[in-house]
Amino acid sequence: MDIPLFPPKDHHHSFFPPTQPLDTSTTTDPTAVAAPNGGSTDKWAAPLLRECARAIADKDTARIHHLLWMLNELSSPYGDSDQKLAAYFLQALFCRATRSGPRCHRTLSSVADRSHSFDSARKHVLKFQEVSPWTTFGHVAANGAILEALDGEPRIHIIDLGSTLCTQWPTLLESLATRHDDTPHLTLTVVVPAAAAAVMKEIGQRMEKFARLMGVPFEFRAVAGRLADLTGDQLALAVNHNATHDSKLAGAAVAVNCVGAMRKLPRGSDRAAAIEKFRSLSPRVVTVVEEEADFAAGEGNFVGCFEECLRYYTVYFDMLEESFAATSNERLMLERESGRNMVRVLACDDDDEDGNNDAVSEWERRERGRQWAGRMKEGGFAPVGFSDDVIDDVKALLKRYRTGWELVNNNNNNNGKQDQGPGLAGGQQQGGGGGDSNLFLNHGFDHNEGNNDHGNGGGDDQTPGLFLTWKDEPVVWASAWKP
Amino acid sequence: MPVDLDNSSTASGEVSGSSSGGNNPSQQQQSTAATPKKKRNLPGMPDPDAEVIALSPKTLMATNRFVCEICNKGFQRDQNLQLHRRGHNLPWKLRQRSGNEVKKRVYVCPEASCVHHDPSRALGDLTGIKKHFCRKHGEKKWKCDKCSKKYAVQSDWKAHSKICGTREYKCDCGTLFSRRDSFITHRAFCDALAEESARAHPHNPTPPPPSNRSPGADPHVDSAPATAPPSAPSSSVSPVHSPELPKTQDPSPAPIMEQPVARAATVNASCSSSSSTSSSSNGSTTSTVFASLFASSTTASETLHPPPPQQETHSFSDLIRAMASHPDHSHTTVELAPPPIEPISLCLSTSNGSSIFGQERRHYAPPPPPPPPPQPPSMSATALLQKAAQMGSSATNASLLRGLGIVSSSSLSSSSSAQLDGWAQRHMEAENSSVIHHHHHHHPGLGLGLLPCDGGSGLKELMMGSTSSSVFGPKHATLDFLGLGMAAVGAGPSSGGLSALITSIGGGLDVAASFGAGEFGGKDIGSSS
Repeated sequence: MDIPLFPPKDHHHSFFPPTQPLDTSTTTDPTAVAAPNGGSTDKWAAPLLRECARAIADKDTARIHHLLWMLNELSSPYGDSDQKLAAYFLQALFCRATRSGPRCHRTLSSVADRSHSFDSARKHVLKFQEVSPWTTFGHVAANGAILEALDGEPRIHIIDLGSTLCTQWPTLLESLATRHDDTPHLTLTVVVPAAAAAVMKEIGQRMEKFARLMGVPFEFRAVAGRLADLTGDQLALAVNHNATHDSKLAGAAVAVNCVGAMRKLPRGSDRAAAIEKFRSLSPRVVTVVEEEADFAAGEGNFVGCFEECLRYYTVYFDMLEESFAATSNERLMLERESGRNMVRVLACDDDDEDGNNDAVSEWERRERGRQWAGRMKEGGFAPVGFSDDVIDDVKALLKRYRTGWELVNNNNNNNGKQDQGPGLAGGQQQGGGGGDSNLFLNHGFDHNEGNNDHGNGGGDDQTPGLFLTWKDEPVVWASAWKP
Repeated sequence: MPVDLDNSSTASGEVSGSSSGGNNPSQQQQSTAATPKKKRNLPGMPDPDAEVIALSPKTLMATNRFVCEICNKGFQRDQNLQLHRRGHNLPWKLRQRSGNEVKKRVYVCPEASCVHHDPSRALGDLTGIKKHFCRKHGEKKWKCDKCSKKYAVQSDWKAHSKICGTREYKCDCGTLFSRRDSFITHRAFCDALAEESARAHPHNPTPPPPSNRSPGADPHVDSAPATAPPSAPSSSVSPVHSPELPKTQDPSPAPIMEQPVARAATVNASCSSSSSTSSSSNGSTTSTVFASLFASSTTASETLHPPPPQQETHSFSDLIRAMASHPDHSHTTVELAPPPIEPISLCLSTSNGSSIFGQERRHYAPPPPPPPPPQPPSMSATALLQKAAQMGSSATNASLLRGLGIVSSSSLSSSSSAQLDGWAQRHMEAENSSVIHHHHHHHPGLGLGLLPCDGGSGLKELMMGSTSSSVFGPKHATLDFLGLGMAAVGAGPSSGGLSALITSIGGGLDVAASFGAGEFGGKDIGSSS
C-alpha cells in the first residue's frame, strides 16, 4: 500500500484520455510509469492498474468497482500503448474480480481458434518475424545450436515441441542444404495440440515442398497431442513409431527443440517430468527458448504476479508499438493474444487448469531463464555454450532490425564482472556487453523483488545462454543443453 | 579450379534436381542425364594415369611461402615470386615447362572423411585442392561485417563483401525482401511455392519450361502464340536440346564467366556442326534454340537501341562465316526452324550484343567442330568469383549477364525457345525472303524486340536467376546456396516461377513499411474520450 492513492475524481480529470498517440513510442520507458501528473503523455495506465490489482487482492469491493469503471472509461484496445495495456489488463482484472477467468479465456480462445487458419497464422507470425527479432532471435540461436550439435550426422531427427508453426525451419533447411558435406536426411517431428493439427497439416506440406526445393531429403511427421499430456513413453513412441521400419529414424541424431513450449506446461512437477521425457529421447541437444518473465508466482501472490505481468507486457506492448505500424492488423492479433494470456495468468487459478484441461488450452506460466536453467540442471542436463559463429549470426540478425535490440551473452562471462573468457565472444559484444549483462540482470531482478523466488536465487549470474534485450530489458532467453 | 567448376556445375545440377519440374517428357530425359544426388559427389574424376599427390594439411594451408626479400610480399609459388623479382630488377629464373613428359598430377584431400580423400576423386590442380581444403576443412576466419557470414578463403570473403546487402529477394508473389532469412522463410510459406509445386509434377526434378508465364506476360506473344503453343513444339525440340544443353553447361559456369566469347562461339559451333553432321531437324532446331535465346536476351535489353550498322555487319559477316558450314539439308528439315531463322536470330543477337561479343567474336567464329565445352580457362576460381561479384554488382552489365545466363542455364526450357521459334518462324514467314540483306530495314532490334520484351520479363529473370545460381551460388562453396535455391525456385516451378527471384530491382522497397493498414483506425480512441 505504499503507492499513493489517486483521488478518483482528480484522476479522472487529469488522466483524461491521453490524446493522440503522438509517437510516444520514442520516449516510452517502463520505469517512467510511476511519474505523477506531468503532462498528457504520462503513463497513467500502470498506476491505475496497480491500484486495481491491489484492491482485488484486498477484496475491497467498492474500490475495485470504482477502478474498474475508471479503467473502462480510459482504455481502448485501439488507442496508444497505454490505452491498450489498460484495456487488456482491465479484461484480466475484471475476470479476476468476477471469477470469470476460465470462462472468459475459453470464449476468447475458441474465437481465436476458430479464426486460426493457416493463412492467418502465417500472416501474423511471419509479419512479426519481419519487424521484430522477438521470435527470430530464438530461432537463430536454436538452429545454430542444433546444426552444430548435429554437424556431420547423416541422419537428423528434430523433435519440435515448439510453438513456432515451423517458421523456424526454412532457414535451417537452407543451412542444411548448404552444409559442406553431404546433405543429411532430416526427419522433423512436430508435436502439436489437436487444435492446430489442421494448420500443421498444411504447414507440413509446405515444409515438404520447401525441403524438396532445397534438396534436403526430408520427412515430416506431426504428432497430435500436448507435451503435458504425453507420457515419456507415449512421446517416445509417437516420436519413434515406425522406427524399426524406417531406417531413416534408426540411428538418427536427435535434437529436441523447445521454443516457447515449456511455459505451456502446468507448473512444477509437469515441467520436471517434461525434462525427464526429453532425456528419454536421448537427444544430442535440447534447445530451450523462453520469454523472460516469471508468471509462476500466480497463486498466493497475486500482486506480485500482476506486477511482473505488467512489467512484461508493458515492455512487450512498447516493442509492438515501435515495431508495427499503428494500424497493423497483425499487431492487433498479437495484442489480443497477449490479452488472452493475461486472463490466463491473472484470472485462472491452477485449479481451473486441472479441472478444465480441454477448455483452457494452454498454460502461460512463464519462468525466467534462470529458473528454467535450474530445472534443466536438476533434470540432468548441462548447458551448451553458443559458439562464436552462432553469436555472430544472432548479432547479424539483430543488426537488421531497428535499434533497441541487444544481445547479452551469458555464455562465458560471469555476469560480465571479469574475465571475458577466451576473449572472442565477449570481446566483441556491442557496447561492452559485459557491463550490460551485469546491469540488465540486476535491473531485471529488481522488478522481481518482493515477488517470489523459486529457490534458484543463487544462480542469477550463472544463467547460461543468450538474452535478447529490448531497451535493456531482457525479454527472451535462448539456451542449449545436452544430457 | 576444376574443383570449383565441378562444384558449381553439380550444384546447378542440383537445382534442377531438387526443384520440382514440369512434366515434359523430354525434360525427364534431361534429368536422367543429370541425376541430382549423384552429381553432387562428382567433383574430381581424374585421369587414372595421373600421379596422385597427397599433401599435408600444413602444406595445403601454407600460404605465400615464397617471400620477396625486398618488399616482403609473399607468393604461393616460386614461379610467381620469380616473376615478381623481375620487377625489382633482381635476377629471376623461371622453370621451363618440360612439355608433355610431365606427368599429370592430381591431388587428394588429407581429410580422411572427405570424398576427395579417395584418389579416384582427386582434384586436378593444386589451387583447387588448396581452396577445397581451406573451404571445407579450414577455419573460417574471414567474416563479413555486414552479415557475419564467414569464409575460409579471403578471396571468397572479398567477393562476398562486394555484393553483400546489395541483393534483394523477390518472391513470385511480388513481395520484396532485403533480408535473406525473411525471404527464405516467406518462400517456404508462400502460396506461390505451393501453387507452383502443385502444378508441377512432384517427382520430376527438372525445372519446367519458363514459357508458361511468358504468354500471359506479354501481349505481343499473345498475339502470336497460336503457331507455337508452348507444349507442343517443346517436345520436338527438347530431345535435341536436352542432350545438348547440359553438355554445354556442365563443364561449368566458370568458363562462361571467363570467356563469354568462347562460349558464344561454342554455341555457334555446336549449332553449325550439329546441323551439318546430324541427321535431321536436330541440328537446326538446336541452333534455333540458341539463336532465339540470344535474340531474346539481347533485344530484351536493347530494344530501343538498334546496334550501330557497322558492328552489325561486322559480326554479321562473322556469323555468316560461322553459319556457312550449314548444309542445305537443314533447309529441308523442318517445322520449327526454317533455316533463315537461324542466321537471323543469331545475327541479331550478336549484333545487339556486339559491345560484348562483337569484336572478339571473329577469333572464335571458325569454331572447333565438336560441340564440347570450351577448355576451362586458366583463370583461378577466385578470380572468377570476383569477376562474378563485379558483374553482380554492376547491374549495368546486363546484356553480358543475360547472355551468360542464357547459355548456362540448362534449365531453360525448351518450350519457351520453341515458342520463340514459333514466333520467329511466323515473323519470318511474314516478312520472309532475304532478311539478311534487308536487315536494317527490318529494324530487327525492334522486330525481335517485341518478342523478348515478353520473354523478356520471364526469360531475363530466369537468366538472372540461373546466372546467379551457377555463378554466385555454388561459388561461395560454403554458403551462398540461396542463389541456387532461388534459381531453383525461379526456374523450377513452372508457372509463376520464372519471375525473378533474384532480380535486383533498383530502388529498395522497405517491406516493413509497406504493409497494409488495418481498418480499425482511431474511432475507438475517440469514443473513449
